[in-house]
Amino acid sequence: MTRIYEELFIVKPDAAEEEVDALIEQLKTQLTNLGATVDKVDKWGKRRLAYRVDKYREGTYVLFQFTASPESVKEFERRLRVADVVLKFLTVRIDETLKRLDKRKKERDKRAAKRAAAAPAGPAPAQPSLAQQMTESPAVMPGVPKEA
Amino acid sequence: MAESKGRPGSAGQRPTGGDKAVATQKKQYFRRKKVCRFCVEKIDDINYKDVKMLHAFVAERGKIIPRRISGVCAPHQRRLTDAIKKARNIALLPFAAQF
Repeated sequence: MTRIYEELFIVKPDAAEEEVDALIEQLKTQLTNLGATVDKVDKWGKRRLAYRVDKYREGTYVLFQFTASPESVKEFERRLRVADVVLKFLTVRIDETLKRLDKRKKERDKRAAKRAAAAPAGPAPAQPSLAQQMTESPAVMPGVPKEA
Repeated sequence: MAESKGRPGSAGQRPTGGDKAVATQKKQYFRRKKVCRFCVEKIDDINYKDVKMLHAFVAERGKIIPRRISGVCAPHQRRLTDAIKKARNIALLPFAAQF
C-alpha cells in the first residue's frame, strides 16, 4: 500500500549550499532504494525560524513530496533524525487531502458549468468573471505545491 | 428605533455606520455581520505552508484567534487550527511570541 507524503525539513544554516544539495541527493537515492518514488523536491532556501531551534535563528527549508509505504516513511524519518545537519522535520500524509481537494474542485467546476449553461443570456458580463474566480487557485506562496 | 429629536445635545449626530452605535438607548447596535473568509473566497486548501495566510489568524502573541472573533465557520476553523499547529511544529509560526 502506498501513500503520498510530504516531508518538510530544516537544514542548519551554516551548512554550505553544496552540502545541502548533497544531502538532498542522498535522501533521494535513499528513498528510491526504499521503494518510494520522489515526486517533487523543492528547496525554499534560507528562512527565519519562528523560534530558536538548537540556538539557530534561521534555517534552510527543503520540501519533499513522495509516494511510499508507511514502513519506508518510518525508515526515512529515522535517517533524518540521524543526519546531524537536519534541525527539524515534519511528515504529512497528503493523499487524502489531495483527494478531498480534487473532489471539491470538481464539484465547483461542475456547478460553475451548470450555472453558465443555465443563464447564458441573463447576467452575461458577470458570468465569465465568476467562473474565472472559481477555477483560479487561491494565492499560494512560492514553494507551495499545487494540487497534483 | 427611538427618535432622538427632542434631545438638544446628541440630536443630529447619531452615528450611522460602524460596528457599534448608540449604546445609550435600549439595545440598538449595528454589528457588522461576520463571515467566514474561507467560504467567501472559496479557499478549499488551508495549507500549513501558507504562512502569510495563517498569520492573519494568529494574534500578536502567537495565539490562534477564536472563531467568535474572526468569524470563521466551524469546519474551516478546524482545518485552520490543524494547519497552524503543523506550522508551529516546523518553526513557520511561533508557539508564543518572544519578548
